Amino acid sequence: MRFQIPIGPQHPALKEPIGLRITVEGEIIRDADIRLGYNHRGIEKLAEQKTWIQNIYLTERICGICSHSHTTCYVQGVEKLMELQPPKRGLYIRTLVAELERVHSHLLWLGVAGHEAGFDSFFMYTWRDREIVMDILERISGNRVHYGINTIGGVRRDLDELQVKYILDSLEILRKRSEYYKNLGTTEPSFVARLAGVGYLSKEDAIALCAVGPTLRASGVPMDVRKDDPYAVYDEVPFEVCTADTCDVLGRAVVRIKELFQSYNIIEYLLKNLPAGEIAVKAPRRAKPNEVVSRYEAPRGENIHYIKSNGTDKPERLKVRAPTLANYAATIKMLKNGFIADVPLIFAAIDPCICCAERAVAIVDARTGQEKVVPMNILKQISQKISANKERKREAEWPL
Amino acid sequence: MKIGVFIPELLRHLFKKPATVDYPFEKLEVPKDFRGSPYLRPELCIVCRACERDCPAEAIEITSVNEAEKRFKMIIHNDRCIHCAQCVDSCPTEAMLMDTRFEISDYDRHNLKMEWEYVRAVVKLKSEPKT
Repeated sequence: MRFQIPIGPQHPALKEPIGLRITVEGEIIRDADIRLGYNHRGIEKLAEQKTWIQNIYLTERICGICSHSHTTCYVQGVEKLMELQPPKRGLYIRTLVAELERVHSHLLWLGVAGHEAGFDSFFMYTWRDREIVMDILERISGNRVHYGINTIGGVRRDLDELQVKYILDSLEILRKRSEYYKNLGTTEPSFVARLAGVGYLSKEDAIALCAVGPTLRASGVPMDVRKDDPYAVYDEVPFEVCTADTCDVLGRAVVRIKELFQSYNIIEYLLKNLPAGEIAVKAPRRAKPNEVVSRYEAPRGENIHYIKSNGTDKPERLKVRAPTLANYAATIKMLKNGFIADVPLIFAAIDPCICCAERAVAIVDARTGQEKVVPMNILKQISQKISANKERKREAEWPL
Repeated sequence: MKIGVFIPELLRHLFKKPATVDYPFEKLEVPKDFRGSPYLRPELCIVCRACERDCPAEAIEITSVNEAEKRFKMIIHNDRCIHCAQCVDSCPTEAMLMDTRFEISDYDRHNLKMEWEYVRAVVKLKSEPKT
């Protein structure tokens, strides 16, 4: 006997609105369907009406947690369009903020994972320690969440000696605390038992379904944009790509804890080798007609921005592919043959950011590859035509 | 593996001070370069409109009051402001600055509006307006 259970768009287990339709047989999930579009804000369209400078702050507001990754991705693309080479010191500070953001995002995720696994004191402790990173970010950029440190051609704020010392001191505390989580998260038997074996995603499936970020690396695929296609100063910084081979939520937690330590090493390296000089170059107001694809390894995975310019001071098109969108297909695979009680945990394990992923959909003809712009009234007519012949839908019953 | 690895940490936290502060009575100090609300120093404004052009939230509005006397009026709509400090970066004469206030909420959005009426300043530009 199969039942369909709708979870969301508003549900206490979900932090943001998303619709999950789950087909169950008893307690076991047989099929899952994700419905998007409850949080669409039309950011891509708005970006076409704003100048290059204004769009930095718009792309920053795509996501609250990985705000720096979206601006860096956008700014890198625009710098390529304008043929600018930011100075070394600017790139170092940009990378420093990126790694601090990764630390804060991973600590946040650890807390959420602890919360979803029913380990709330762990949640409280990680979030308390996350405040240390937030304080660093506030001190160097002027704000806790939207740092606004990027500008076209470099960064907006310089670091001074006091700030460098403050970051290094805070890093020591963070290292000590993370060492504790490393031992605790991997030895506390109840926590490990809750995470192990949940949301299995084999290596082959992870590659076939185009998973990104820690979800992919937890399935044993060492893929990281920072290593594969180095941007900013990652080609100079020594670090390792962290992987796990358990292919479950435990592996995803392990990957994130390992990445925390890699990030601490990177931050320390960047601060100790900070070159002197300018932090930004002057940017022109217009960009020549061209198009560019920019990639960035956000804390959640690979982030892609496609930018097209037409010679004016505004972009003609800005397309954002957030990491969460790439992980949805893998999530459905992970949910299948699991238990209903594991849904929040599996879903939280990809670190979903629904706001990031809500993008407009283009209708592409699969045979010719042509894109079509369809106005709303035509779309309604099409849907009426399709549903008019379907008797089954009219007689559909509420499954519960 | 050991049972109850977490217990010593839990017990230690019984005797620690809370991580939070007693907010309305005790306030944390904001850092030096905190981005609060923007304000104008009218004696330095040359009405180049760089801030109005670059503001991502369209929160700055400069209108001409009297063309002959070169009187202008600037309105900052703080209800729209996203506190990015781009106006401070764009200003060529350092007439725009950020303060460090963070408790700026109000029951009415119109109360957040700030206005200045001033005569255009004659300030020699040190450099070209930043973009």
